[in-house]
Amino acid sequence: MIRTSRVLAAIAVVGAMALATTTGVASANNQSSDHRAASGGDITFGLEAESNSFCTTKAQLAISGIQVVAAVYDTLTVPNDKGLSVPYLAKSVTPNSDFTIWTIGLRDGVKFHDGSPVDADAIKANLDSFRGAPGAANAGSLLPIVLSFMQDVTVTDPTTVTVTLNTPVSTFADYLFLVGRMGIMAPAQLNSENCATDLIGSGPFKFVSQSLNEKLVVTKNPDYWQKGYPKANQITFVPVPDSAVRVNQLKGGQLNMLHTSGAVDIDTLKNDSSVNTLIQKPGYREIRYYAMLSDSAPFNNPEARLAFSLALDRNKINSIQNKGLFTPANGLMDIKAPGYLKNAGYPKFSLTKAKALVTKVKAANGGAFDVILGTTTDPTNTAEAQLVQEQLKAAGIEATIAQYDQATLINKALAGDIDVLFWRNLHGGYSKSSDADNYPWWSNYNTPAGKKNFINFSRFDDTATQDALTKGRTESTVSAAKTTYTAFNKAFAAGNYILPAWYINWTIASQKSVSVNLPALPDGGGKPLFVYGRIPVLGLSSK
Amino acid sequence: MEDLRPDAVPGGSGSAMEEIVGESINRGLLGAPAEISIAAIETGGEGESSRHKLSLGAKFAIGWMVFVILFAIFAKLGIITWGDPNESFTRCARRGPFSKEGSVSGFLAGCDSNGRNMMARLALGAWSSLYVAIGAIILGFTIGGTLGVIAGYFGGKVDTFLTGLFNIFLSIPGVVLALALVAFLQGSAEQAQDAILSPELILIIAIGVVSIPLVGRIARASALSWTQREFVLAARSQGAKHRRVIIKEVLPNVLPAIFSISLLGVAIAIVVEGTLAILGVGIKPPTPSWGNIIATDRGNLFTSPHIVFEASMMIFFTVLSLNMLGDVIRSRFDVREGVL
Amino acid sequence: MELTKLIARRAVQLIIVLLFVSFFTFLLVRLLPGDPTDVIIPFGTAAKKAELRSDLGLGKPFFEQYADYLNNVLHGNLGKQYSSGRPVSDLVTQSFPVSIQLMIYAQFLALLFAIPLGIYSAYRAGSRADTTINTTGFALLAIPNFVVALFLSYFVGAQLKWLPTGGYAPGWLDPLFDGTRGADIGEHFNYMLLPAITLALGQIAIYMRLLRSDMIATLQENFISMARSKGISNRRILWRHALRPSSLTLLTVVGLNVGALIGGAVVVEVIFGIPGMGLKITQAIFSREYIELQGYVLVIAVLFVLINFTVDFLYTILDPRIRRGRSAT
Repeated sequence: MIRTSRVLAAIAVVGAMALATTTGVASANNQSSDHRAASGGDITFGLEAESNSFCTTKAQLAISGIQVVAAVYDTLTVPNDKGLSVPYLAKSVTPNSDFTIWTIGLRDGVKFHDGSPVDADAIKANLDSFRGAPGAANAGSLLPIVLSFMQDVTVTDPTTVTVTLNTPVSTFADYLFLVGRMGIMAPAQLNSENCATDLIGSGPFKFVSQSLNEKLVVTKNPDYWQKGYPKANQITFVPVPDSAVRVNQLKGGQLNMLHTSGAVDIDTLKNDSSVNTLIQKPGYREIRYYAMLSDSAPFNNPEARLAFSLALDRNKINSIQNKGLFTPANGLMDIKAPGYLKNAGYPKFSLTKAKALVTKVKAANGGAFDVILGTTTDPTNTAEAQLVQEQLKAAGIEATIAQYDQATLINKALAGDIDVLFWRNLHGGYSKSSDADNYPWWSNYNTPAGKKNFINFSRFDDTATQDALTKGRTESTVSAAKTTYTAFNKAFAAGNYILPAWYINWTIASQKSVSVNLPALPDGGGKPLFVYGRIPVLGLSSK
Repeated sequence: MEDLRPDAVPGGSGSAMEEIVGESINRGLLGAPAEISIAAIETGGEGESSRHKLSLGAKFAIGWMVFVILFAIFAKLGIITWGDPNESFTRCARRGPFSKEGSVSGFLAGCDSNGRNMMARLALGAWSSLYVAIGAIILGFTIGGTLGVIAGYFGGKVDTFLTGLFNIFLSIPGVVLALALVAFLQGSAEQAQDAILSPELILIIAIGVVSIPLVGRIARASALSWTQREFVLAARSQGAKHRRVIIKEVLPNVLPAIFSISLLGVAIAIVVEGTLAILGVGIKPPTPSWGNIIATDRGNLFTSPHIVFEASMMIFFTVLSLNMLGDVIRSRFDVREGVL
Repeated sequence: MELTKLIARRAVQLIIVLLFVSFFTFLLVRLLPGDPTDVIIPFGTAAKKAELRSDLGLGKPFFEQYADYLNNVLHGNLGKQYSSGRPVSDLVTQSFPVSIQLMIYAQFLALLFAIPLGIYSAYRAGSRADTTINTTGFALLAIPNFVVALFLSYFVGAQLKWLPTGGYAPGWLDPLFDGTRGADIGEHFNYMLLPAITLALGQIAIYMRLLRSDMIATLQENFISMARSKGISNRRILWRHALRPSSLTLLTVVGLNVGALIGGAVVVEVIFGIPGMGLKITQAIFSREYIELQGYVLVIAVLFVLINFTVDFLYTILDPRIRRGRSAT
């Protein structure tokens, strides 16, 4: 009996030890976060995805990558909270009278992290790679399409670069930001074979290291050109693809900041008194939409696109998926952007009409109406795709779901392998013009020169939309821009190339110990804009 | 007798060590769940008392399996309908027995994040999980069993070759092998214009291939020992054809061993399908499987735990029951003795 | 004499198996239909596709392609991750130690609990405690890893907030593979504990049940009765005399179980967001990085084969019963 109890006691001791380890570790965790706070200014930021490449000229960056770009690099311009592009790394960006020649003035004494100067040569090299000039290092395949209007870049003097355009573009300054993608790299990175992984920018934080799927660490740039910034000592970006897990890690203290666009998670965060939330207000929000591949069957038939649009009960999807927290969208732009319409003419859900059209489309298409829905691997997206699939099925459309990681999804869409692309994007981020957020995405798929606009995921050619877009980029007054983009929004809706679903209120959540300051832009540029889930990081700090 | 088989563990055939090492190699096969079954073989039913207990458990196991199979078949054939497993109800989304907002009447097991009836999904999920698992094991049973019996019966070079083949497949961890096969087969199907392989079939093949050497080794060991018995030797010496001897004398004795390992194999396959679903390559939604129910709604574990919990319970009780039944068959037919 | 022959035979076997394994991983990419470059980099430029084609040696005779592949692998060249141009070998050196550490902890935890439980239930075979332990073990065997992982992260991570629900910090092994990574041991264990427990739970049941049945047999042997009659304490008999022979069996199984652990680790890494090879494998699948995927499968298979052979070999050398048995034949 005694021996038995001894063995039992041994087991109990082992168990107790295990418990002790557990609790010990738990308290160690608390200590370490206290320690982190005491050393000041270390921030752990949860991102929704990992990015493989930060070679800004050719990386296909989504929001998570763009957030890192905001830390390591600077862009020549940034949008302010009035929706205007103002000079940032550039000291000035000025057009000639017909918007064909743009002069970029640079700041004196600004240096990249490797000590090399941010001078006219460096900027020319960057712009040449961005636009894919012959022989330029590390040029990509997509940005050259977007920037195809850039004819030449010349160095005028060490702090001045002149850009010549082959057509008037009044909104060129917007393209120098391009939703945060246009991070300027040091020549050492730009010309390197390891451009994707050896990050050298001029931004508030210096790149330290990246362990894929684990973390990307950046540290304070003490010689940053905006004096007194950045505030934080270090930012660790941690990719946590599962949104619910990300929220949970913020609450548990492994993260002290995150971004999310999931309505249910935003709801949870909003109602949690232990975290601060910065929820994007209506004005320049992204929209969720379903883009149809319009150059091949079945969606090359306009009636098929209409049938798809009629078949989806977007309010129901919004109610289930987002608890009805997001505002339904019926146009491309948000309320402050030129061209905004409450309803640009997208059809209302009607199962009967959809069914009738589906029958018609099937008859014309040899009896088939099968589509592939392409989305990312996130469980929330899987669920949303299944809702869409179910509603399509009710109308007689057979849908298959294909899931890829974000970068691959883009490649599949570019390759034309996806009939319906689940996408979210910003199509109205400025108050003056909606050109930069629409022309690259929606200008005709086939240009007269025989080139293809691969970024037009819907692959349509439409005279009405193209005319409006062409006119839009030359408009010099806001009222003219409004008229033109309203016409564009309507023509675009009439084509049923996409079906908008809802506006997304991007949200930044942080622990109480983190203060999220958005300092004023240099040279009286105004307050920066929190757009697209990208938050400027130079004012972040942690107690 | 000198043992010439290349994989023979020192100690020669018939040693308990071979049993342990041989089986522990198998154990590596399918990831954690695999060991489950073999450990069960190894330790189950070694005393009268535990045999008695097993029969109590066996009653439960049989009951559960009957329930699950009927649950699956009825749902598939629409005999008892729990509703459309793919119809969404806004009012019911994410709500269920343990969720914060509570249940909605009329939905016994609640709903998933899309507001679909969990009862209907669990039932149809039972069908797809069992369909893939049983399909895969039938593949393993047929091919692995045949090859194993041939290896054990003929011995010599045939045995050397086949055992070597099993060993090579066993040298890649099962889950990783299945995952790689699914990925590359799906890659092929994606690229081919007229895909011959349906997603379910790809899963069946991938999991089936993984189970071939597992079944094969057991069948071989069993066939080897029976082949050396007097009545088989007698039949052979009387000039009976190999085919006849195998079918009439060896196979009936080997079958219980293969059958019990196959039952356990079904359990393993259910778990592997679940694992693949979590990794995103299981049965394609919206067709529910227990695995993809968990995979789709794992993000809602914090707010609506009932979704993951219910599907997990289905897997748990089914695997438990299959393990128990495998044990029962094993001890009834004294498979271990046979192998030795 | 016997031993040298044995070593030679084992070495030949090892090489044959490794050749077959590498051939299998080589075949995986050739399983892709049509032009593999269209599948691997569907939107790659012509130049990139040409580069990949030459990397893969497409166009050469089949076995020459394999020879090239083998040659590359032997030189540590596993190809590239095409989205970023990173060498796959770099990705392996980053993720390999992560998975290895996870598996070591899982094994350690499993043994820590399985040994006392196994001994106790063997010693008290048939008692109520034994039945309880055994039944619990049997039930544990029926719970899939991913279910354990999800529920632990839910209850221990999210509800009790004792441990993180995901993430990773480098441990003692990471700096050895990649000098740029500094270890943060405290954080490391903090992150690894829940995943290790998840993996260990299933193993505990296996080891415990194995040890129990092995020890029940040992306890009935003559030398135990003899020790008993000499008045040696039960505790000493259990730990010194009975556990010793059984521990060899147990350790063998522990070594061979690595393959199972690797499989389990894949899904556990995905659920806990641990950047080991399991997580990389799934990401490679979703980003259609077939070359990268091929690299991980090869590394895992080779690792597993090597461990199997080492354990098997050690076993042969260490166990006196086997050596005796061998000389007797």
